[in-house]
Amino acid sequence: MFSSSKKVINTICPYCGVGCGIALQVEDDHVTGIEPLPQHPVSQGMLCAKGWSTAFALDPHDRIKTPLIKENGHFRPASWHEAYQLITESFLAIKQEYGPHALGLIACARATNEDCYAAQKFTRTTLGTHNIDHCARICHSPSVAGLRQTLGSGAMTNSIEDIEKADLLVIFGCDPTENHSVLGGRMIQAQQAGAKLLVVDPRKTRLAKLADLHLQLNLGTNIALINGLLNIIFSNGWEDKNFLEQRCENVDALRKKVAGYPPKRVAKITGVPVKKLQAAAKLYSEANRAFLAYGMGITQYTSGTNNVIAISNLTLVMGQIGRAGTGINPLRGQNNVQGACDMGALPDVFPGYQEALNPTNQDKFSQAWRCEIPQQKGLTSLGMTSEALNGRFQGMIIMGEDPVITDPDQNHVLRALKALDILVVVELVMTETAKLADIILPAAAFAEKDGTFTNCERRVQRVRAAIPPPGEAKTDWQILGELAKQLGYDGMQWPNAEAVFNELAQLNPLYMGMSYDKLEQDNGLQWPCNETNPTGTKLLHNNQFTRGKGRLIPVDHTDPAEMPDNDYPLYLTTTRLHYHYGCGSMTRKSPLLERETPNGVLFIHPDDAEKLHIHTGTPLRISSRRGEVETRAVLTDDLPVGTVAMPYHFKEAPSNQLTNTAQDPITKMPELKACAVKIEVVTAP
Amino acid sequence: MKSYQLSSLDTLFKQLATQHEMFEPQQLPGSSDLHWLPSQEGPADQYSSAKKRLPLAPAKGFLFAEREVLFHFDGKTFIKTVPKVKPQVLFGLQSCDLCAIAYQDQFFKGDSHYQTRRQATLLVGFDCLTPCDGGCCSTVDAGPFVRNGSADLILHPKGDEWLLISTSEQGDRLIQPLNLSSAPSHWLEQRHKGEAEVVKRFPSDQHIKSSIKKINQATITAEQWQQLGLQCLTCSGCTNLCPTCSCFTTFDQNIDGESAAFKRERCWDSCLYEAFQRESSGHNPSKEAGERLQRYWFHKFSDHYADEFNRYGCVGCGRCEQTCPGGIGIHSIMRRLENAS
Repeated sequence: MFSSSKKVINTICPYCGVGCGIALQVEDDHVTGIEPLPQHPVSQGMLCAKGWSTAFALDPHDRIKTPLIKENGHFRPASWHEAYQLITESFLAIKQEYGPHALGLIACARATNEDCYAAQKFTRTTLGTHNIDHCARICHSPSVAGLRQTLGSGAMTNSIEDIEKADLLVIFGCDPTENHSVLGGRMIQAQQAGAKLLVVDPRKTRLAKLADLHLQLNLGTNIALINGLLNIIFSNGWEDKNFLEQRCENVDALRKKVAGYPPKRVAKITGVPVKKLQAAAKLYSEANRAFLAYGMGITQYTSGTNNVIAISNLTLVMGQIGRAGTGINPLRGQNNVQGACDMGALPDVFPGYQEALNPTNQDKFSQAWRCEIPQQKGLTSLGMTSEALNGRFQGMIIMGEDPVITDPDQNHVLRALKALDILVVVELVMTETAKLADIILPAAAFAEKDGTFTNCERRVQRVRAAIPPPGEAKTDWQILGELAKQLGYDGMQWPNAEAVFNELAQLNPLYMGMSYDKLEQDNGLQWPCNETNPTGTKLLHNNQFTRGKGRLIPVDHTDPAEMPDNDYPLYLTTTRLHYHYGCGSMTRKSPLLERETPNGVLFIHPDDAEKLHIHTGTPLRISSRRGEVETRAVLTDDLPVGTVAMPYHFKEAPSNQLTNTAQDPITKMPELKACAVKIEVVTAP
Repeated sequence: MKSYQLSSLDTLFKQLATQHEMFEPQQLPGSSDLHWLPSQEGPADQYSSAKKRLPLAPAKGFLFAEREVLFHFDGKTFIKTVPKVKPQVLFGLQSCDLCAIAYQDQFFKGDSHYQTRRQATLLVGFDCLTPCDGGCCSTVDAGPFVRNGSADLILHPKGDEWLLISTSEQGDRLIQPLNLSSAPSHWLEQRHKGEAEVVKRFPSDQHIKSSIKKINQATITAEQWQQLGLQCLTCSGCTNLCPTCSCFTTFDQNIDGESAAFKRERCWDSCLYEAFQRESSGHNPSKEAGERLQRYWFHKFSDHYADEFNRYGCVGCGRCEQTCPGGIGIHSIMRRLENAS
């Protein structure tokens, strides 16, 4: 008998929030290939280009394998003991001099729930502050804030399988075939099977080209457009009167507000002709089951929270929620951004969205964690960087995020991170952010650890270790547990990931009914999963909203904080490409994906290009009031005239040199989707 | 070709396992999906069930590795890497996948990496007695019964027993110690006639047949291909799972991050990628998604390739239909092409 070193391990794709099932082929402790899983309820045997390239992302050649300490500007390998010692000394000194509020942690929406739970527990128990945040701040914090006001819960209301149950799909400010490809693919297939497709997007996305109706609105005019649709709906008496009466409140105020948005005015603001507005209102009103999905085109504005509220208004007025095939469905960006929020890796909430400053909750967690709970309000990620520049924030741990590339206004981030006394980065590879660290701790990647991810439809799924971590790398929860002990808190000594999960499930009402054994069945469970819903919940708000009645909140159109003018005559919006993910630290390791696009690109309409004598490939300098970047042009009429677009994946052409930190007043979401730029052709010196 | 009466698969499996690493389609705990996995216990009990399922990922990677190092450069010398392969048996292949291996044997005839693996591999095929979901092997002469010469050993269920056909010297040699008695002559005859009965039970394949004609007569317009191309998300799933797809690319990887030492790897490529045929000048003969889609299906169904390989490039396994997020796998696209006017 021969024994083979070959095996196959089922786990979850590490890229976006769709949460596809993948199997890792493993040989001699290397991931050699990927298999899709036909029986997986979400992916059904499909994957996107990123998922298919996962084996490359796990190549060990550029991984950080030992702790690294910076000395005289250079990193040298160090022992875990030495690294922990140095962090402990430094953090205790800062605590003594400035108090715990000068410390904070950025958690990672790519890590497991177990890691995120440990991150917020470490911050609250050991650092002694609520200064914890993660990249949900710059993707869906407005969804959480907006939908909590209108419905009482900020997650996708329905399930991905509802795409096939709908007779109308409304795709609002998102590009699912590129960013959530398997979900986008299921939308295409649903349309092929007879559903109608309505796309609202400033760009002619793939789905826009396939759509039955595309509303190509101007950047940042979502609220005007929705108020306009509601105006038409109310004027024609198309609203769902029963639903409004029985399940909603505040309809008169909304009716009054949208009366101020007659079609002609809306056409002027949005650039969408009146006829198309009327056709869209009719299409949505006539649908039996309308599944509405939205993304960053709604949230990444200074009006982000109000945009989400407007989406909610539209859905509630037509009663397109609480039934199969309907709903408000924010498409989450990261594989576990839903989970990171559920785990309370946010300054204002404990796990399960239990308010952090509420005395009852504080008692609960104080008892469970056997420690004092901090009383002071926590800082957001942008709050931490701003305080760092003001000299009031000194020590920071960043877990697996690369804010130098992914956060708005790169120069602001760089100055802030450099102003810190100590920056600890827990990472897989030497990212641009890691380069600024004083100490780097090597982390285990998703294929090297057990745990769970929660996808955008609230499905908690098992992630399984397939290979050992390279060198001395460890799982986040192990690192934080060991560091907590050094810093004097011993409540984080777990034997394995399952023990972490069991602890978090007890404290998080949404996860209370879950265990690793139960998650094995049916490929995961959708929260809430508790005594009332032991098999999980596919559909939220079916009989009543989490907050009771659905609240309609009148909102007004506001312009983006920065609009084109004489000095900066073009609108810049940021986008994502199918082939790359976030800062590119994983996808760019695939020679196939790396070959597919240049290292940075500016998309521009041929009419704009002609005025500036630009062709595809012309080297350009793009500048805004905050910075400048050089890259090359690609001409495409997918964009409207006057708007240019850049993906944010490339450190060679970081679009966040240009973007604006102007923020949504409620969530501090920066306005990544619109700012003003100018373009010059770069000539050879 | 010799045929035997085999009373238990177990005997055969154990005999092969004495000298080979055994692989067969199996399920992982908590999942009903099939994967090609090493088999310690074997054989799995799935073979007696009338309806066999295909593992979504074919056995292609056992012979044409998804990634493999071709050579190293240590800073001074180039060192060729030859794969080290233990003798292995792929147990439980269906006819479609066996036809695909025969196809790849031709394509990789001069490829030492492929051939090293192939020489070490024994193929055991099973006749399919019912159509599988989405399969259309009979349309493209790739099943449902195993084609002579495509496997070393062929198994055909006969109630509780098996008709075992050995079609290679290696097969003969390996089963000789079992001292099996010859199969009754009418078994072979029944098998010969039986395939037609199974073929009758396949759903209509008119959409495939008429679209093959249209592809070869080039009656699908560029605009029609381009419209279909909108549904290609460039995921590479169809080419990764297609058991006959053989395109690869190479890339170099620095070994230690500092010195000049590097290794050259090859990995599966996909002709659906925009950059697959892009030239360094930027010129691209297949820039549009529709052109790439047309090329893909041309490679599967063109009479030109049929002449070269004695069969179409499609073996009717239906995997592309299952894995395509855009809904343009074989059945969907052939229906669209059939209706295109």
